[in-house]
Amino acid sequence: MDANEILVIAMFLSFIALLFTGIPVAWVLGGIGIAFAFLGQFADNNLDTMTGLDYTTLGLVVNRLWTIMENWILVALPMFIFMGIMLDKSGVAERLMQSMQELFGRVHGGLAITVTAIGIILAASTGIIGASVVLLAVMSLPAMTKQGYNMPLALGTIASAGTLGILIPPSIMLVIMADQLGLSVGDLFMGAVFPGLMLGMFYIIYILIRGKLKPEDLPVPDDAKPVTAAIVFNVLKDVLPTVALIVVVLGSIFAGIATPTEASGVGAFGATLLAIYNKRFSIPVLKEVVGGTMNTTAYIFAIFIGATCFALVLRELGGDEMIESFLTGLPFGPYGIIFFILGVIFLLGFFLDWIEITLIILPLLAPVISALGLDISAPGIDNPELVWFVMLVAMALQTSFLTPPVGFALFYLKGVCPPNVKITDIYKGVVPFIMIQLAALLILVFWPQLVLWLPTVAYS
Amino acid sequence: ADKLLLKTPIAFGSHLPALGTPIVWVADQLKIISGGNVRMKIYEPGKLVSPKEILDAVSSGKVNSGYATAGYWQGKIPAASLFSAVPFGPEAGEYMAWLYYGNGMTLYQEMYDSSGYNVKVMPCAIISPETSGWFAKPIEKPEDLKGLNMRFFGLGASVMEKLGVGTVQLPGGEIFGALEKGAIDASEFSQPAIDQRLGFHKIVKYNYFPGWHQQATIFELLINKDAWADMSKSQQALIETTCKASITNSIAEGEAMQFPVMEKAKENGVHIRYWNETMLNTFQTTWNEVAAEKSAADPFFKKVWDDLSTFRKGYDLWEANAFLPRATK
Amino acid sequence: MTENDTLPRVPLADAIDRFIQRIGQTIAWTYVVLVLVIMLQVILRKGFSSGLIALEELQWHLYSIGVMFGLSYAQTTNSHIRVDLFYAHMRARTRRIIEIISIVTLVLPFIIVIFLHSIDFVTEAWRVNEASEAASGLPWRWAIKGVIPVSFALLGLAVVSRFIRDFTLLIKGDD
Ligand code: NA
Ligand code: NA
Repeated sequence: MDANEILVIAMFLSFIALLFTGIPVAWVLGGIGIAFAFLGQFADNNLDTMTGLDYTTLGLVVNRLWTIMENWILVALPMFIFMGIMLDKSGVAERLMQSMQELFGRVHGGLAITVTAIGIILAASTGIIGASVVLLAVMSLPAMTKQGYNMPLALGTIASAGTLGILIPPSIMLVIMADQLGLSVGDLFMGAVFPGLMLGMFYIIYILIRGKLKPEDLPVPDDAKPVTAAIVFNVLKDVLPTVALIVVVLGSIFAGIATPTEASGVGAFGATLLAIYNKRFSIPVLKEVVGGTMNTTAYIFAIFIGATCFALVLRELGGDEMIESFLTGLPFGPYGIIFFILGVIFLLGFFLDWIEITLIILPLLAPVISALGLDISAPGIDNPELVWFVMLVAMALQTSFLTPPVGFALFYLKGVCPPNVKITDIYKGVVPFIMIQLAALLILVFWPQLVLWLPTVAYS
Repeated sequence: ADKLLLKTPIAFGSHLPALGTPIVWVADQLKIISGGNVRMKIYEPGKLVSPKEILDAVSSGKVNSGYATAGYWQGKIPAASLFSAVPFGPEAGEYMAWLYYGNGMTLYQEMYDSSGYNVKVMPCAIISPETSGWFAKPIEKPEDLKGLNMRFFGLGASVMEKLGVGTVQLPGGEIFGALEKGAIDASEFSQPAIDQRLGFHKIVKYNYFPGWHQQATIFELLINKDAWADMSKSQQALIETTCKASITNSIAEGEAMQFPVMEKAKENGVHIRYWNETMLNTFQTTWNEVAAEKSAADPFFKKVWDDLSTFRKGYDLWEANAFLPRATK
Repeated sequence: MTENDTLPRVPLADAIDRFIQRIGQTIAWTYVVLVLVIMLQVILRKGFSSGLIALEELQWHLYSIGVMFGLSYAQTTNSHIRVDLFYAHMRARTRRIIEIISIVTLVLPFIIVIFLHSIDFVTEAWRVNEASEAASGLPWRWAIKGVIPVSFALLGLAVVSRFIRDFTLLIKGDD
């Protein structure tokens, strides 16, 4: 084993070790990057290594930071956070949650199903996980706590519903994957529609089953009434403004009238109008909203910035080639290799996020997959086996958001939870949802047409 | 030093034919010819650094080399686009003639030197005409362009702006999504075989030719000047000669792969159109205005523009007499 | 809104944090401007087409200002994400020691390296008077790039404040 390999492994190990000290994740990532760059320089000078790392090379971190700053796609993130916090302050969010739950009458888990349904809707308006998780948590956690929900279940529902956005289009992850592999973004977007909806359906089915088996975990509110026409009408009247807001945000994207960024700004503006309409708006409220937006956006981006430093040094050390040569040397058959790769991605997902996996690992896998000679056909689509494989990876990466110790959905969720909520509650809550994701992944492996049917039809 | 490692971030994915593939070929050849002593390690776009940051990264020595096209530095050096592609400019043969046997290369290097960039530049690939872009509807007259939002590259973007088009220079991977979501109504990217990979034909069916804005496009290898000075004469010659060989390789690759793709596009319902005379004249007149404005605004732009124009005036005599008429449609 | 009320008081650190939070609260209003700019763009796009690129660039300018200055703000509100699996159960003294060591060995080196390199980065943009590469984009790239060193200096200050707080409390040993 040469010095570079030792450094790569040491980098991962010290990352994991330092995470558990409780030092902020962003600073662990950034600090380790810097430390190993200097270690690399020391190794170049004193040992027989060729890392090429030194203080000058580290300057690339600033170029990479700048690339994050000028990313116009990410502008939507603070806007959706703004929208979420404003909806919360405006008081309409809680009413929307309660009203929608009334539609489910005495069904155990009505509120959780509402969260999942809204998660699907949010997913279709943004591919930004942080914003969805935060928005759902801010909207629904107080209500769920008040109703006496089992805390881990409530948290798991929010985290998993919030991560649907990475799969259901539009999805930033799919855009980046298409770019990395030279695939059509449209093919990937279309391909993700059914897998994403299927996953959402599975969540709802799970919640319904759990409500039947352990109703005390998902209590019905004491004042739950059977659904009557009057209730439905009242509910509709109650939720109309908010639903209109979501329809405007979503509809404008789907109709091609607005980009996700524009829609996010319109959503933030609309939420403010709703607050005014509900007489909850004031300058102090607005001040609180912008302060909260700044705070939440900042701790998410701190991790982006730390990770970009870590990834830079890892790549300079040849960490990516190490992984590639390891994978290409596998002695399994085609499906064996695919399962192995998905297993590895699942495991890497414990420690890395989708950005690093998408940028480091995925490009190395494409030639491996193309060389497998899989017999998957889809008229009109270039590289159907890669489109299908990307969707498998996307589904596997869904889990990375929920798997500790580095699960970004968990972090975002923890960030907006009241202090008495322990991250271990969140860990416990996401386990069933990770199982569901793995089941969905298995279905996709054996039924590629679930991915490929829609793009084939849409473009033929 | 007899061993050399060029760490080379690139601006186009190495899977993209003619845009990205030539530098991979260069890396392979360098290793073979030098017996493994000179190696080029390619970093895909964004892996170490994003395409637009390559000049800064090479100049400051954060990496020792990079592969891009000069038009990316338009915001830093107004004249840079002239070394990428010139609207109504020279075709590949004439462009190479000006670069290698006119004042082109001297001016190209002078541009970086006088702007204070610590880089050695050499052309390392060239491609033949690009398409003029993909539109949702036929464009018959200048008014049809007004109000469109379009992805457009380099100097041609200024022409389109004058004609009432809002232009943006999105990277390749972002174009399809922007088209699909309606953020842009039309797009230009590259040659048919490359555009086809990005799937534009699935949304916008009118593909216009000729690519008046990019009759030939040059791609550059940038090397940090201190790193260049540290190389032996033979290493320098090796790299320069391999890049020159790559010019041959890249244009041959680009020329060979367009017609089968266009044939297939036709089958898929793409309308392949040739600009009518009104449109071409409008583009050219507007370009002349833009060139005059840019010359007035930046002395070095004027210097390069004047030199290129002088060369081309001389070349006209040869060009008008030497070639057979082109095949007509 | 000083979430810092959860941390024990140390006068010097409190003063620094208040200063940073006042800056943060002021800059947070850019998000309101961002909402308005996006609305303006949406409205303009219906009727007109010129100037849209500049508006689009203005959007990521505003967004990045909010993000970058938010880093120090979130530091003073103690909001940066931690894996609190063990951390939550540690004694206050242990946490302080971890905080002090990590600030010196991980956080400050990271901030200093970015700060120093960003100075060169901004100087370069200033030297060539860098503008947008889009034909009708915004000028003065040095100004928005200048956000990096300024915001990282503030982040450094916020981290030093945390160091002062934990170090003072550790010496006093009042927990
Ligand atoms: Na999405
Ligand atoms: Na994870």
